[in-house]
Amino acid sequence: MEKSSTALEIRGFLQLDAYLKKKFGKTPVYLEIEAPLSGLELSKQLEIDRDDIEVIFVNGFVQEVDYILNPGDRVAFLPPGCPGPYRIALGFYGKNQGNEANFKIKNK
Amino acid sequence: MQKFIRINMTTLQSTITEVPEKYVGLGGRALTSSFVNDEVIPTCHALGKNNKIIFAPGLLSGTSAPNSGRMSVGAKSPLTGTIKESNTGGSSSQMLAKLGIKAFVIEGKPDNTTFYVIKLDINGVTIEEAPAEILGGCGNYEAIRILGEKYGKHVGIALAGPAGEYRMPAANISFKDPEGNIRSAGRGGLGAVLGSKNVKAIVIDETGAGAVPIADPEAFRAASKVFSKAILDHPVAGTGLALYGTDVLVNILNEAGGLPARNFTAGRIEHNDNISGETLNATITERGGEGKVSHGCHKGCIIRCSQWYPDKQGKYITSGFEYETIWGLGADAGIEDLDAIAYIDRAMDDVGIDSIETAVAVATAMDGGLIPWGDGKAVLQIVEDMAKPTPLARIIAGGAAVVGKVCGLYRTPVVKDQAIPAYDPRAIKGIGLTYATTTMGADHTAGYCISGNILKIGGFIDPLKKEGQIEYARAMQIGTAAIDSTGMCLFVYFGVADNPGGYQALIDMINAQYGIQLTSDDVDELGKTVLRIERDFNKRAGFTNAHDRLPEFMEYEPIAPHNVVWDFTPEEIDEVMKF
Repeated sequence: MEKSSTALEIRGFLQLDAYLKKKFGKTPVYLEIEAPLSGLELSKQLEIDRDDIEVIFVNGFVQEVDYILNPGDRVAFLPPGCPGPYRIALGFYGKNQGNEANFKIKNK
Repeated sequence: MQKFIRINMTTLQSTITEVPEKYVGLGGRALTSSFVNDEVIPTCHALGKNNKIIFAPGLLSGTSAPNSGRMSVGAKSPLTGTIKESNTGGSSSQMLAKLGIKAFVIEGKPDNTTFYVIKLDINGVTIEEAPAEILGGCGNYEAIRILGEKYGKHVGIALAGPAGEYRMPAANISFKDPEGNIRSAGRGGLGAVLGSKNVKAIVIDETGAGAVPIADPEAFRAASKVFSKAILDHPVAGTGLALYGTDVLVNILNEAGGLPARNFTAGRIEHNDNISGETLNATITERGGEGKVSHGCHKGCIIRCSQWYPDKQGKYITSGFEYETIWGLGADAGIEDLDAIAYIDRAMDDVGIDSIETAVAVATAMDGGLIPWGDGKAVLQIVEDMAKPTPLARIIAGGAAVVGKVCGLYRTPVVKDQAIPAYDPRAIKGIGLTYATTTMGADHTAGYCISGNILKIGGFIDPLKKEGQIEYARAMQIGTAAIDSTGMCLFVYFGVADNPGGYQALIDMINAQYGIQLTSDDVDELGKTVLRIERDFNKRAGFTNAHDRLPEFMEYEPIAPHNVVWDFTPEEIDEVMKF
């Protein structure tokens, strides 16, 4: 479907790119929403695992996962795994402190 | 005894001495920059007899420390006129360290046109005439094969490719990796410096070399274990880089509106899916054959960000297929086909030219009407023509600043005549401050590591706002200068930034190897000292704060989608290097 003014435009990066392409046939995915919802609520609708989200992009800006999305927004889910200092420079640490979804080291 | 080797190309003689006292505790970039500042006349012509080029493994190179096989190469840059440290993977750094070679320097210049091969081994230095078949346009892949036949399959090799032989300002030094493919000390034209001294190749034979001595092996092993765990427990190592390579950044930077496109006139492209790390991974997986999703550029790499990219038949095309190269050709120059970019990447490795400088030069040339936008075939031909070289190939190999002048452009994305890579300063301001103030000319790897409290430095950063950016750019450059001196790959960044134990383990490894007691403050101080030394050289070469500026067009050409300009004042920029 083509994007309408009220549809969310959704992408996933790293492993979520292949996941969304497999689930919906192609990306970006367009999803009509009637009312605002959080990134976390959207991730549940899309059956994206919470551990697969470090931050989300909303209209080109890094936001925490529970940021509120409005009809027409462009959103992308980014799993842990972005390399380099860009994690700081793009605001991962600045926007996501104290959030349960923020990066955490998982001891293997 | 660690050895310090000087090779004089005027006399074709070498001397081997103990390491001068002032360099004993230094390695990598700290050593190369100290030496260049001590011995190179700052105002010399970079391709003249007074420039000197130094190769130095890092402090931990040659040990079992993970990701410690990087090499620093230093000289005055023919591209920027500044001091230059260029960093590479491959096998040579670990071999030099095992041979007990702290550093080797090439100085002087022959009075003839004969090219030479320098061989370093357990017995010292041999200087021989280069085989004719590797000269005059022979590609690096073939040259490595021929030198392997002559000197042995397992030797380390550093090469001035055709671009270096012809002294092109963007020529790199190409290093053989464990499989005989190519890694590069890419930026700043150091291949031209090697070529100017008539050195075609350096061959390193570690036969008979022992292990690198460790003062406290048990403590070293313990620290190495902690350090490895800090890296491997992090999803960047396990997922991001290992599966998608550095090209994982295409989609991320594109989404952030910081992916410079069409000669820095936009910050986002529509064909990002064609060239993304996710597509790279899917293509390699689907094609199989010789393709590898993950690969290490040197022994002991546990991050494995490299890969082998195959053609449609599964035959190897290129490796070390980096984000900045793919960005430059794919977004900045608008070449939409990943295979076309891969063949150009291979050709750039084969002629020995910096893939960032060349990609930006190509995009600048497209803006100037010299090459059609997005024409991968034309770009491949130009890169291959660098082996002849044709006039157009020479112009492109002169770098983005030269191309901008030739084309009469004001929109030339360079700082100190070095091309700005892959991250638009208008949309990611902290990186812009690093580009402006680094001693090296625009260089994303100059501000890559951090040693302090990451949340204190970056906890409040918004990419479009000024708050915290000066402190960020300063801390990143200090941390990077220190890490560049250890021989560590900069990608250990996340293992030390997100895990305080990782940073301490890195220091513990150095202490255990040398039997010393460095603290984190000492390491920070080392980073500051390196930057002060480099700035001192640049100042004496004629550079002032007025050179620490981004190109003017960024102040008045907003970049979409965020429609932002570069708005730091000169006074604010100058704060970065006040420490």
